[in-house]
Amino acid sequence: MAYYLMLFAAGFAGSFHCIGMCGGFACALGRDGRGRGATLLRHLLYNTGRLTTYCFLGALAGAFGEVLCTPQGSRVLLLGDSFDVAQRTLAIVAGLLMICMALQFFGHVRVFHRLSVGFAASTFAVALRSLLVAQGRAAPLAFGVFNGFLPCPLVYAFAAEAASSFRPLAGVLTMAAFGLGTFPAMLLMGGVGRILTPMWRQRGVRFAGGCILALGIVTLGRGIAPMAGHAAHAWAGGHPG
Amino acid sequence: MSAAGENLCSHCFLAVGRRPMRVMVNGQSCAFCCYGCCIAFQVKSGKSEEWDAAWILIRLGIGGFLSMNIMLFSILLYTGAFSGADANVLPRIELLLCILATPAVVILGGPFLVETWSNAIRGRLTSSALIVVGVGAAYAYSVLAVVEHSGRVYFDTATMVLMLFTVGRYLEAVGRARAARDLEPLLAAESECATVVDGGTERRVPIREIDAGMRVRVRPGERIPVDGVVLDGASWTDEAVMTGESRHIGKNVGSPVIAGSINLDGPLLIRSSGPGTATRWAQICRSVRDALSRRGATQRLADRVVAAAVPLVLALSLLTVLYWAHRLPFDRALLVGLAVLVVACPCAVGLAAPLATSIGIGRLARCGCLVREPGALEALARTRSIAFDKTGTLTSGEARVVNIETEGVEADEALARAAGLERHSEHGLARAISLAAAARGLEPVVTREVRIVPGRGILGSAEGHQVAAGNGPFISDLGWALEPRLIARARSQEAAGHSVVYIGWGGRVYAALSLDDSTLPEARATIDALRGRQLNVTLLTGDIAAVAKRIAAAIGIDDVEAGLSPEAKRAGLERRRRFHKMVAMVGDGLNDGPVLAEADVGIAVGSATDLARETAAIVLPNNGFWMLPWVVDVARAVRKTILTNLIWAFGYNTIALSLAALGVLQPILAAAAMAGSSVLVVVNSLRLARLPDPSASLTGRSAPETPCQVASAVLDPVIEPG
Repeated sequence: MAYYLMLFAAGFAGSFHCIGMCGGFACALGRDGRGRGATLLRHLLYNTGRLTTYCFLGALAGAFGEVLCTPQGSRVLLLGDSFDVAQRTLAIVAGLLMICMALQFFGHVRVFHRLSVGFAASTFAVALRSLLVAQGRAAPLAFGVFNGFLPCPLVYAFAAEAASSFRPLAGVLTMAAFGLGTFPAMLLMGGVGRILTPMWRQRGVRFAGGCILALGIVTLGRGIAPMAGHAAHAWAGGHPG
Repeated sequence: MSAAGENLCSHCFLAVGRRPMRVMVNGQSCAFCCYGCCIAFQVKSGKSEEWDAAWILIRLGIGGFLSMNIMLFSILLYTGAFSGADANVLPRIELLLCILATPAVVILGGPFLVETWSNAIRGRLTSSALIVVGVGAAYAYSVLAVVEHSGRVYFDTATMVLMLFTVGRYLEAVGRARAARDLEPLLAAESECATVVDGGTERRVPIREIDAGMRVRVRPGERIPVDGVVLDGASWTDEAVMTGESRHIGKNVGSPVIAGSINLDGPLLIRSSGPGTATRWAQICRSVRDALSRRGATQRLADRVVAAAVPLVLALSLLTVLYWAHRLPFDRALLVGLAVLVVACPCAVGLAAPLATSIGIGRLARCGCLVREPGALEALARTRSIAFDKTGTLTSGEARVVNIETEGVEADEALARAAGLERHSEHGLARAISLAAAARGLEPVVTREVRIVPGRGILGSAEGHQVAAGNGPFISDLGWALEPRLIARARSQEAAGHSVVYIGWGGRVYAALSLDDSTLPEARATIDALRGRQLNVTLLTGDIAAVAKRIAAAIGIDDVEAGLSPEAKRAGLERRRRFHKMVAMVGDGLNDGPVLAEADVGIAVGSATDLARETAAIVLPNNGFWMLPWVVDVARAVRKTILTNLIWAFGYNTIALSLAALGVLQPILAAAAMAGSSVLVVVNSLRLARLPDPSASLTGRSAPETPCQVASAVLDPVIEPG
């Protein structure tokens, strides 16, 4: 449980990044003319859409991890213990990815800059833009669903963490904890607009970077030094998977 | 790191660090901290466009929300997350899946069902029927399984298949919208409004309601709605779409303006010179819309194949289910059948040709080239032979009168009568005669009952006499008296390569005008470029052999037929068609109209004639002759794209169909590949929009008068009075 609380905290801290990136969307969705309840519903729908996408990505990542690490004669004997090579490799890759993301939050590394294909990216942007101004009651939900797919370093980092959990359920829970962590700030943005100064957000982003860095190091540790990784894990409350 | 003066992300206003991502958005350089912010910035700050596909997107979002939940639980179900102690929750999970899937199937499947139904009542089976039958079967089977607590459920398959097909539909819509973007300025004449100034008030009026004499205000950045004359203001205009002219043209008080051109930087007040529906812009708009609504030959063939394929695929899938039902549990057999239906759906086939064609038409339209017949591009691409008319096409068409031989009358009198007759014609020689008369300060003799005999001459009556002007055969057909001395002098002029027009009245020929016509400076390079594209080049002209030979030698054409009447030109085309199957004919639009109509592809160059009477399938702008090789390139690229699209779509369907029937392909994978196939067709077609500009694709061309380069390049900053 403590593990998921930590993810929640990381998500909450990370939402300082969200305020910058997606908070604008929350503001743009704005208030509903039909009153306070409708406004709340609008933003709940938007955030539910986002959360669903995160959970889906978590399930996919977890299933991907599981498929990759299903024992198929790849077990090796190491120091008398059996460790899955694939599992460890995945943990190392995920850990490195998370550390890269964390460093990106500190402004040191640039990842995923050349990830885009012109058509895909601009089509996506135009698609989101048209949803942002669409009038239907369900549009915020749809917008949230697509918003969840925006290439966000936070989401990548947590998807990597979900993959290294090797279980779809654990993956879903990882992403859900992260997603719920981003809820308060995003809901707040819907109500009050940009309340935090860039400096405070910058601090929040650093804090999120620190959390992700810590998670990344623990995950990396699980891959490189299984015993130490397990120890760290036990300290963090244990992994359900 | 957050020291003052450091760059901030344009979107989230956080420090971008030492290696920011720099992108141009809407013409300004922006720095972003991450790629997500870059997209988010584009979403928020981009130009807001009307987006027809928005409703598909909402549908997709809601469907995505539901089907992602379904997938999520299904993944958990498949990976055994609910096995063991949690096994008793299994029926509840299945019920939950059913509850989630039902709205998803309604929301995502609705449009497919409506389409199937509306076609079915008209007795047609379309590809959406395959999706409806397949998904309907999977959904119905799963609902039954939930009710009876037996067997597995396949809600995930049903919704994901619908989801992926809707994604395919959405991308189609995006592709179509992109294709329409180039055509939008041409089609706007029917939808846009203009600001009419009436006394002191201004009101917005649809362009079609504008009449001659109305005063119209055009703000900077707006399109000029009607032809007219500037009453007030000065500005630069961009006429590229209308004339292919890429230079910005300065306008001030008294300058004529063309409907459809863009007013760039200053407000203009113009007086309309005619109704808004009579402009070339409005004519182009009507003709482009007609062209888009018709289907080319390849697409008609593809449509027929699709129509035949749908019932076949339904039968095949039924057989597959029956076959596998003997060997596998029924639900597995049903899945194999579903995979067959999904994979055989020929969505990409229906998209292959229209998308590529409309993007090609849009690409040409950007440089002022107008395609009136969608099949014309495909035909032009297949053509290996191209025939040219001479006057006004290979030559400037602006002949000069160089000599006047008379017999018994003054040269001025003959010229005045000829001018009175010829001002009713738009033929190149006719204009030269009118100009020559004007240069001498002669008043054209008023002529009535004018009749043009294409390719031969012109006939009318003035001052009680019949007046005629035309070539030798025309005069001898009339049977008018002709002095032998005049004939001899005219023949010597013809031998020198001049065009001779005989002028006569009252049953007798009095004068012979010699006209000389110079070749276009870019003709030789253009002909060479066409020959470099493996095109057989021919000159078919009504002019005499000496002139034709001289011109042909100057521009490098070996195959010449001269002295042809329009009928003989058609016969000439027919002869070439026997060798080359398809022949294109390039002319100036009016006097060779029947021949252009007869050719497989008629191409008119720079015709100032009325577009409505135009018989050519492709119309190049004024002075646009040099673009011809580029037009051929575009046509060939369009045809190649259509063919690769069709080969891909059909080939993919065939291979995947066999895999599916063998039970190797999962339905969801099949649907994903199907959507991927649509994406491939869209992306492949959109490459056409990035074809190089004509000036970039034709190197070594002699400098033309109107290069159609990027419209923003100001090549000539001198304000032209118009």
